[in-house]
Amino acid sequence: MTKLVSSLQTKLTMSFIVLILVVSSLTYLFTFRETKKGLLEITQTELIALSSVIANELSGVQAEDMASLNPGEESSGKFTALAAKLQSIRSAHSDIKYLYTMKKSEKGLSFMVDPDYGNVDDPGAKIGEEYDEVHDQMLMAFEKPAVDPNFYTDKWGTLLSGYAPIHDTKGNVVGIVGVDMGSDLVLAKQAFIGKMIYLIIAISILLAASFIFFFSKTIIKDIHKLNNIANDISMGNMGVSMDVERKDEIGELAESFGRMVASLKIMMMNDNASDK
Amino acid sequence: MSELSEKALEYTKRYLGPASKTFLERQTKSHLKGLAFDDLKHEDLPELLKWLNISGGLLIGAKAEEMIKTMEIMLRVKRAV
Repeated sequence: MTKLVSSLQTKLTMSFIVLILVVSSLTYLFTFRETKKGLLEITQTELIALSSVIANELSGVQAEDMASLNPGEESSGKFTALAAKLQSIRSAHSDIKYLYTMKKSEKGLSFMVDPDYGNVDDPGAKIGEEYDEVHDQMLMAFEKPAVDPNFYTDKWGTLLSGYAPIHDTKGNVVGIVGVDMGSDLVLAKQAFIGKMIYLIIAISILLAASFIFFFSKTIIKDIHKLNNIANDISMGNMGVSMDVERKDEIGELAESFGRMVASLKIMMMNDNASDK
Repeated sequence: MSELSEKALEYTKRYLGPASKTFLERQTKSHLKGLAFDDLKHEDLPELLKWLNISGGLLIGAKAEEMIKTMEIMLRVKRAV
């Protein structure tokens, strides 16, 4: 009797499992990479749309009020009202982590209104505070809405941001609105999709392995039968019968084997008759 | 060997292998009044098939019935009752 480890059934099942694993891994890598790319693109599109809508809402008199704010006026009614406005917009969009406005300064860009100013847990920027890590997209946003190509990290965390120009009542660009989304949201979506792909692959492997196991079992069963018949004949037992009925190569093997057994029987009967 | 003997041998070989001729010779000699298999005639076939079914059954079991059916069709024989 062949050991389970070296049996044809184990080899067949293992080969198919390895094959499925290789194919699944490649599919997983490709699908996950494309999904990540797709998720980033969707988030970028969402950021562009959000920043454009918010910029439109802030344009006009409110934009002029923002531009007129000077450092140290954080407790003024104008700042409080504008911060409350930004805060209410942010509350309406759960995906937004930070929402702020900026204008051009001598060094680059400085904050106009950051509703998180004064927040003890997550302190925002004060009026006129310079932003040290200006991206090209921020400057481009003074012309038209722009979005970061990838996540970036600054002192507020790892973020993806969209920017759009804010216009005063005369249509002049007075600054930009920045809309930030945290990486945790996108990473959570990626992790969920990754887990789903893992789950689908695991179920597929389980189903395919079960199918292969039972399929190979039927093949091995008939090979065992042929093996037993050959063993019987080799031990001199000619009273065996061939009961393997298949239409595949094993069936053909059984047929050939049956012919061989029949001929052996005839020759043995002939020998016996001659002896008598 | 007659053409009929050759055909009968060919169909029998598919089931009984290379020793078929020995088997057929024994069947004709024992059950067809000592007839040599090489001299087989069409009228001998029903009786031969009857004995092939019986003796072949001992060698190849249920496959013997299949062998006889094939030979009946190919050699255009009516089975002996």
